[in-house]
Amino acid sequence: MNRAKGLFFGVFFLFGLSWLALAAYPYITFAGLRQSKDEATGALAPLGNPGTSDQGARVYAANGCLYCHSQYVRDKSEGSDIERKWGKRRTVARDYMFDRAVFLGTSRLGADLTNVGDRQTDPQWFYRALYNPRATAPESVMPAYRWLFTTREIQGQPSADAVKLEGTDAPPRGYEVVPTAEGKALVDYLLSRKTNYPLPEAPEPTE
Amino acid sequence: MERSDLSVIDRSIRIPVLIFLASGVFWLIVASGFWLLASSQIHTPTAWWTFPGVAWLSFGRTYPAFLNCFVYGWATCAGIGVGIWLLARFSSVPLRNSLFPILAAATWNIGIAVGVLSVMGGATTGKQMLEFPSYAAFILFLAFVIVGLWALTIFWARRPGPTCVSQWYILGAFLWFSWMYSTANILLNFTSAPGPAQPAINWWYIGSLIDLWLTPIALGTAYYLIPKLVGRPIYSYQLALFGFWSLAFLGGWTGMTHLIGGPLPAWMITASIVARVLMILPVLAVAANFHLTIKGKFEDLGWNPALRFMVIGAMAYTAYGFEGSLISTRTIAQITQFTFVTFGHAQLGLFGFFSMILFGAYYYIVPRLLERQWLLPGFTKLHFWFSVVGIGLLLFALTMGGLIQGFGLQDPQISMSAVSDLIGPFLLIQNVAVLLLVLANLGFAFAFALTLLITAPLKRRSAAIESSADAPRKIAPEVTVA
Repeated sequence: MNRAKGLFFGVFFLFGLSWLALAAYPYITFAGLRQSKDEATGALAPLGNPGTSDQGARVYAANGCLYCHSQYVRDKSEGSDIERKWGKRRTVARDYMFDRAVFLGTSRLGADLTNVGDRQTDPQWFYRALYNPRATAPESVMPAYRWLFTTREIQGQPSADAVKLEGTDAPPRGYEVVPTAEGKALVDYLLSRKTNYPLPEAPEPTE
Repeated sequence: MERSDLSVIDRSIRIPVLIFLASGVFWLIVASGFWLLASSQIHTPTAWWTFPGVAWLSFGRTYPAFLNCFVYGWATCAGIGVGIWLLARFSSVPLRNSLFPILAAATWNIGIAVGVLSVMGGATTGKQMLEFPSYAAFILFLAFVIVGLWALTIFWARRPGPTCVSQWYILGAFLWFSWMYSTANILLNFTSAPGPAQPAINWWYIGSLIDLWLTPIALGTAYYLIPKLVGRPIYSYQLALFGFWSLAFLGGWTGMTHLIGGPLPAWMITASIVARVLMILPVLAVAANFHLTIKGKFEDLGWNPALRFMVIGAMAYTAYGFEGSLISTRTIAQITQFTFVTFGHAQLGLFGFFSMILFGAYYYIVPRLLERQWLLPGFTKLHFWFSVVGIGLLLFALTMGGLIQGFGLQDPQISMSAVSDLIGPFLLIQNVAVLLLVLANLGFAFAFALTLLITAPLKRRSAAIESSADAPRKIAPEVTVA
């Protein structure tokens, strides 16, 4: 019977070590992260996520963006992320402190999205890319996300956020393609993806 | 230990084990459907089967549906079924209260169905391998607690005497899974963990899921069945003990190797790399033990399906362990991280190692529980060869494609679309490989269903199956702790 007790104790104790270090410890310590304050300008970083980007994060998860896109930039010594212009510096825990859900991702079939909101600032670019990825990058292997849009008859003036589509994607005359609330939230979220501010623990690498 | 009552024990546990095994096969087929769809969609972004207007059939949903169906539907149902069968055999006591595991199986199936429908409907958590929303996770946890507690009562009710290493693996797996699944869901999906903590908890969970749930279930099964099928005791008892405790020590630490260079404290990632490299020790212990147990006997045995599957599974475990240690070192991870190499590695573990061992267990257990032959031996051979060729081809395609992808990503001069062009042919090969594996699964499921449903005694007995069914009754050479 002592053998069985030893087994139970060992099984719990050994697993408990990893649980404390890799689950409980980050849960507690990362709750204590605070913004960094620039001493010269008094500017705070990072800033919270604007608009509907938190809802957009849910759309990002629901449609599985994270299975092909990552959201972190490795240090220069650990890969070519910075040379690929996916970010000016590596990302650190503090960069994610305002994200309700964090999708680091483990695949890069698509580009890293840590700073996609810095590379592309026009919502129209995102709408066109989501409606037909081949419209913004002819060789793209990304699937189209048509259900984030509706095609409807133009009532009076065309909507401000109607997607500018060309060629076979263009809606019939008198109709327009507009993003749904989900589509808008997703683009808000993507626009909020940027770490273009300095942090003391992750300075930009100097050449 | 007196083993004359094995068939009595088998009879007492027949219904709950068969329900879990059948549920596993059912979800394996559902997972196969998602698998084939997802692996066809990934390289043909404009084909009709990518369903551009249909959200619930898009790649972003079929892929997590496949993984969750495969791991929680197939692997976990099969694992629970085989696990409770093993515990019952070891306890040497016929079982009571078999209503509990039946209830658990029904609840578990409901949980998977709710979870998969939620993933397809878009109610995903976005946490990898924990995509099921909290309500589905709660149903699953409830089911697991019922069957887990019941499994513990089997262990407590056992006939006094020595315990075996297999038993340790299975019990450990049940305890570890209930812990990891509950805390990961509570921390991530019931309460919302601080953003930067989420990847750490998520990958602690995934590492543990592979190394402390699926791995010990498969190893516990192999440690019992391989010696039984070969007809001699396990080679070294000390090695087996060492393998168990080193796995228990390292298993919870391996996950962060997927986040090398990620926004986590450096010590977490370093600890994970060290654990993953040290993981070679339990892998070698198991490999040496099985090899020396089987050595010289394998050729004498003829075509025994259970043993064939188990031997391939054990070999895949060795390969999986070695590859895991390799691709976790910082130098190699720089190339392989974010690429299909890691997908191939995961498939080698999930299919090549875990599923092959569990398939072998099915071919051993099901005929004993039903007290009749496994039907369609031709399908068994098809299942075996399609599985072996399929997983080999899949590993080749994902590893070669992944390496090219990795070197491409490493060179900032090569555009992302040029990288996807380069790996296009390999993604086509992986699609063919997945098709082979899906066909193998279908053949297996068809023969399993026939065996289960056709009660008439069969006139023509297959020599191949017979050798597996009759040989091992007389001997019980598993490792015991004195």
